[in-house]
Amino acid sequence: MGEPRKYPEFRRKLTLGWWLSNRRYTAYMLRELTSFFIMVFSLLYIYQLSLLASRNTAAYNSYLGLLRNPVMVLFSTITLAFCIYHSLTWFYLTGKVQPIKIGKRTTTPVMSLAFNTVLMAAVSYGVVRLFLMGGL
Amino acid sequence: MTDTGTATLKVARYRPEKSTKPYYQEYKAAYRKDTVVLDALNQIKAEVDGTLAYRWSCRMGVCGSCGANINGTPRLTCATFLHEFKGRTITVEPLAHFPIIKDLVVNMDDFMEKLVRIKPWIIRDKEAPPEEGEYKQTSEQVDKYSQFSSCINCMLCYSACPVYGLNEEFLGPAATALAYRYIMDSRDQGKQARFPIIHELEGVWECTLVGECSVVCPKGVDPMLAIQKTKILGATEAGKSLVKPISGLRAILLPQGGS
Repeated sequence: MGEPRKYPEFRRKLTLGWWLSNRRYTAYMLRELTSFFIMVFSLLYIYQLSLLASRNTAAYNSYLGLLRNPVMVLFSTITLAFCIYHSLTWFYLTGKVQPIKIGKRTTTPVMSLAFNTVLMAAVSYGVVRLFLMGGL
Repeated sequence: MTDTGTATLKVARYRPEKSTKPYYQEYKAAYRKDTVVLDALNQIKAEVDGTLAYRWSCRMGVCGSCGANINGTPRLTCATFLHEFKGRTITVEPLAHFPIIKDLVVNMDDFMEKLVRIKPWIIRDKEAPPEEGEYKQTSEQVDKYSQFSSCINCMLCYSACPVYGLNEEFLGPAATALAYRYIMDSRDQGKQARFPIIHELEGVWECTLVGECSVVCPKGVDPMLAIQKTKILGATEAGKSLVKPISGLRAILLPQGGS
């Protein structure tokens, strides 16, 4: 499109630190980063399940000992925090992208965030009761 | 701090006939409560430095010509008041990601080509005869696309989009918002003509929900919403096309219908 230009245009490239220039970009990048921690956690969990399936009690107990290591506890804590952060941002975005019409009113992103957070807390509580406290 | 004073503007300059790289030049500009960045640029060009190049036209936030990155945020220079900055230096740079032609003037060809590709007009398979009158719409039908028709093609959303910054093949926020605007218009029948463009690999699927496009839009358009809605439409169509062969088979095997 257009005539060839006499002088060269200047093309810029995105710098490595672009996501630090504004807090919303930083929040977005943190949300993207959560996937790395959740991926590592999932792989470790699959490995744990494979040990459980192999019925090798000694190996399973030794792995449980490794999970109690302060570094692993720190990793699990960061993963949990990121998992909650990711969930909350997605609950908000879901409300933005898919508002639901109830009568004449339409749901807001904050309503979606609140409803889904309560639902997540209730389901999490149910899972904890079922598996750690011996039943619902 | 009063609403009058002298502001310092640090303006990005690129003069390819003199320099191979952009550089900054500082100017002073007097301002009152109602002085906007564009007024300051006009004041500088008229009284201090006639070589400064930038685009503008309407001065009232309608034409979308005067976008620039002001202190790192894409904004219309005609709608950004100097007193907001309370005496701090105001950095004015060309819109990010687009090639710079001169000073604050960027090359818009890529956006213009994308705009044409999504066919931003009402497509009809067959026009109804004039004697049938206009195509009427209910207010609910208008609501489905109304906000997306407010786009003024100012390209601030492209400047705010890091995905476009990383991959200029990405169709981007404004073009998708306009495609969605026409797809949702009850008078339009061009969905099938636009789908191959918006659902190609670099169409809407590149978007990773940064959301900054919707934050910077000066007209209250939500391109991020349009992109996600377009993804939902695409996924629904893809689902339908998967179900079609099955329903075709059912029609052959169970001509009388069945449960």
